Amino acid sequence: MKMEDMSLSGLDNTKLEALAHDVYSDLVEDACLGLCFEVHRAVKQGYFFLDDTDQESMKDFEIVDQPGVDIFGQVYNQWKNKECVCPNCSRSIAASRFAPHLEKCLGMGRNSSRIANRRIASSNNTSKSESDQEDNDDINDNDWSYGSEKKAKKRKSEKNPNSPRRTKSLKHKNGELSSSVNPDLYKYNYSSGISYETLGPEELRSILTTQCGVVSEHTKKMCTRSQRCPQHTDEQRRAVRVFLLGPSASTLPNSDTMLENDSYDAPDGQLIMSRLQWDGSSDISPSDSASSKASTNNSESKRPKKKKKPSTLSLTSAGGGGERDKGQERERGDRERVAGGGSGSGSSSSQNALGLSSRKKRPKLPVPPAPSIYDDLN
Amino acid sequence: MSPAGCSHVNGFKVDNWKQNLRVIYQCFVWSGSAETRKRKCVVEEGGFVPDALKITFKAKSCMCHMCGAHLNRLHSCLHCVFFGCFSKKHIHEHAKNKRHNLAIDLLYGGIYCFVCQDYIYDKDMEQIAKEEQRKAWKLQGIGEKYSMWEPTKRELELLRHNPKRRKITANCTIGLRGLINLGNTCFMNCIVQALTHTPLLRDFFLSDRHKCEMQSNSCLVCEMSQLFQEFYSGHRSPHIPFRLLHLVWTHARHLAGYEQQDAHEFLIAALDVLHRHCKDDNGKKANNPNHCNCIIDQIFTGGLQSDVTCQVCHGVSTTIDPFWDISLDLPGSSTPFWPLSPGSDGSVVNGDSHPSGATTLTDCLRRFTRPEHLGSSAKIKCSGCHSYQESTKQLTMKRLPIVACFHLKRFEHSAKLRRKITTYVSFPLELDMTPFMASSKESRMNGQYQQPVDSLNNDNKYSLFAVVNHQGTLESGHYTTFIRQHKDQWFKCDDAIITKASIKDVLDSEGYLLFYHKQFLEYE
Repeated sequence: MKMEDMSLSGLDNTKLEALAHDVYSDLVEDACLGLCFEVHRAVKQGYFFLDDTDQESMKDFEIVDQPGVDIFGQVYNQWKNKECVCPNCSRSIAASRFAPHLEKCLGMGRNSSRIANRRIASSNNTSKSESDQEDNDDINDNDWSYGSEKKAKKRKSEKNPNSPRRTKSLKHKNGELSSSVNPDLYKYNYSSGISYETLGPEELRSILTTQCGVVSEHTKKMCTRSQRCPQHTDEQRRAVRVFLLGPSASTLPNSDTMLENDSYDAPDGQLIMSRLQWDGSSDISPSDSASSKASTNNSESKRPKKKKKPSTLSLTSAGGGGERDKGQERERGDRERVAGGGSGSGSSSSQNALGLSSRKKRPKLPVPPAPSIYDDLN
Repeated sequence: MSPAGCSHVNGFKVDNWKQNLRVIYQCFVWSGSAETRKRKCVVEEGGFVPDALKITFKAKSCMCHMCGAHLNRLHSCLHCVFFGCFSKKHIHEHAKNKRHNLAIDLLYGGIYCFVCQDYIYDKDMEQIAKEEQRKAWKLQGIGEKYSMWEPTKRELELLRHNPKRRKITANCTIGLRGLINLGNTCFMNCIVQALTHTPLLRDFFLSDRHKCEMQSNSCLVCEMSQLFQEFYSGHRSPHIPFRLLHLVWTHARHLAGYEQQDAHEFLIAALDVLHRHCKDDNGKKANNPNHCNCIIDQIFTGGLQSDVTCQVCHGVSTTIDPFWDISLDLPGSSTPFWPLSPGSDGSVVNGDSHPSGATTLTDCLRRFTRPEHLGSSAKIKCSGCHSYQESTKQLTMKRLPIVACFHLKRFEHSAKLRRKITTYVSFPLELDMTPFMASSKESRMNGQYQQPVDSLNNDNKYSLFAVVNHQGTLESGHYTTFIRQHKDQWFKCDDAIITKASIKDVLDSEGYLLFYHKQFLEYE
């Protein structure tokens, strides 16, 4: 039937219906044909079989939904012995304690200053293994890399020593903590001191602002104890400063403020600098989320964890729980931060606390910690 | 020649065969314009015309030369001008008589070889067919259509040699994996779970789209790629993300340090580092360092429009800032949550089904996009009035990202209080962002208050796929994540432990970070 001969007017209903039915069945047929072509092509090109799966191994991967086991059918909490290799020092570390290790390893922890001190103290001893290990500390440890002060300041300023650290998890573990003190802390006490001959004036000045510095007659090395070290007098301390730095350096800094003031005095300029450096550009980045600035939530404090420590603890603060704020260098309207670290590593956290007991906050205080410092962590 | 082709096409592939074939596709098979669709062209007698310009168009002439039928699977001979129907074998007769071995199906464009007695798939000819089809779609206004992946010859070989295949079905654990807590790193684990279950990101990394140009080993995007490999490896033991932690600490110094941290902050920092490292992927240099076309920007970056209206001259100053997340205030904080502005109604669209009293996500969004009077203490310099005037400010979404992350500000740090707001906020599985768009606001301002809900407009519809929850207090707590896999199957990720969860568990949870994914993705 040629199309030109058709005209729809004048046709009665049954004919129209028949026509409609024809059109419909043609459409359906065409659609089926399309599917046939798809299958035909898949078979001919050879990818039709791709849907086939290996039923056996599929069963191994079925989801398990039963109490006491995870979706793989494994019992909870069997992963205590997992280990990994530190990318920094290549040592094998228990996975659940990797974070605290890495912090020390990269020189960001409280303990790293201690290690660095030790390194300097024993720098005259050619103990290669030790210096190799602490090499990374040296590079990254902003305390002791004298050249990179800017970088050093940047990291220090980000961690407000006043902000409280994890408190609760350490609170109830008090008993354990005091009994298993990190022996490293005591080792430091008996270090041989620093040889002043190998240090430049900048370094000397730096050391002398926080340490006793009196040169021992026997060893010819500087005392690394605090400014209030009982073994030497203030007279001796003044004398050594004059000797090493010249008459202008005869005044000791006010030891009171040094010891009891917990806040780290990073100049504001450094803070801003660090902010800009991190951002990398002056344009607004999505990470300075406009939305978080937008709210009118009036929070005056950008430091969620600021807590002034009682001054009695300041002496022992090197070993104590330094309080640190996180990342508050970002300028946000109302930065709200929450701490969530995981209760999964319950037992390890107590030991980690020990590892971190020497906080960065007072890096130059070589004070032996007494068990009482752990009270500070509460 | 593809494996499914045949040697009989060689007789056809001479002279200007490509152009001839194109003409056939253009005119007979996939007519692009309405013109060619309505009219069917007829070719002049005297053989196949090599020059396409010689074709004259006449109306309605595509029919079987033997019986005149229009349907019956009409085929066109490739060697000469002949149309014949397939069902009645008219084209077969022609092929035998004239020894013209190839014909083309006018409905689907398949090439039939009479010698092989089957449809064949020749690579070169298919290439032409595809191109013509795309052109036609474009002309018709359909645009790009999705085409399935096809394996190459080599890939087919590999697959044939490895028959032990596993398909990721609804009941399959592949794609899910626990993460060991490295010491207070649950904040990182929960974000990793959310990212590895972001469909677009997963597709990007599993199809190896990242070409690393960083010299050192410290590319975070490479590590992310590795992470996906780990998740889809089929291993059941939890993964140890120590390299990831190391890289993040190296590149985002402000996050480094063994202590509990904020997951939201980690998300932003991670996205930022990924974005910076991804920038190397893009061959061309982006004009604006913050708006490159990397995968992070494509997926996560949205535009937030801020309109400041001067109360005196009503001049509006508009800025658009990029964002990766939306931080929403909650009731119960010290800032007032109510009243909301009249007329801005999100609840109708989103059908909040919770009983009245519970704050919903749309309530929070309404508050976020309300016009806010800035007060006399915060006068803005108006360029219209050339003086400082009071103004109102309003935020709306200019451009929505493919993945929208909502951050509920549960942690309050004001002068008097530091606490966690545990108010329950109900959030929907499906979210329509239309009422919060800048375009909607404009229509509202033009007086169209009650907009008819355009259910056909799918641009702004989102589905929930990940929820990060925090249990505990401000100082110390634990993060877990609910993620969606295989459409409507939810799983709870608690560090190393992955368990099945119900939708109810998810919707009843407190909610701290909510991840929504656009439902419909179009080609640009």
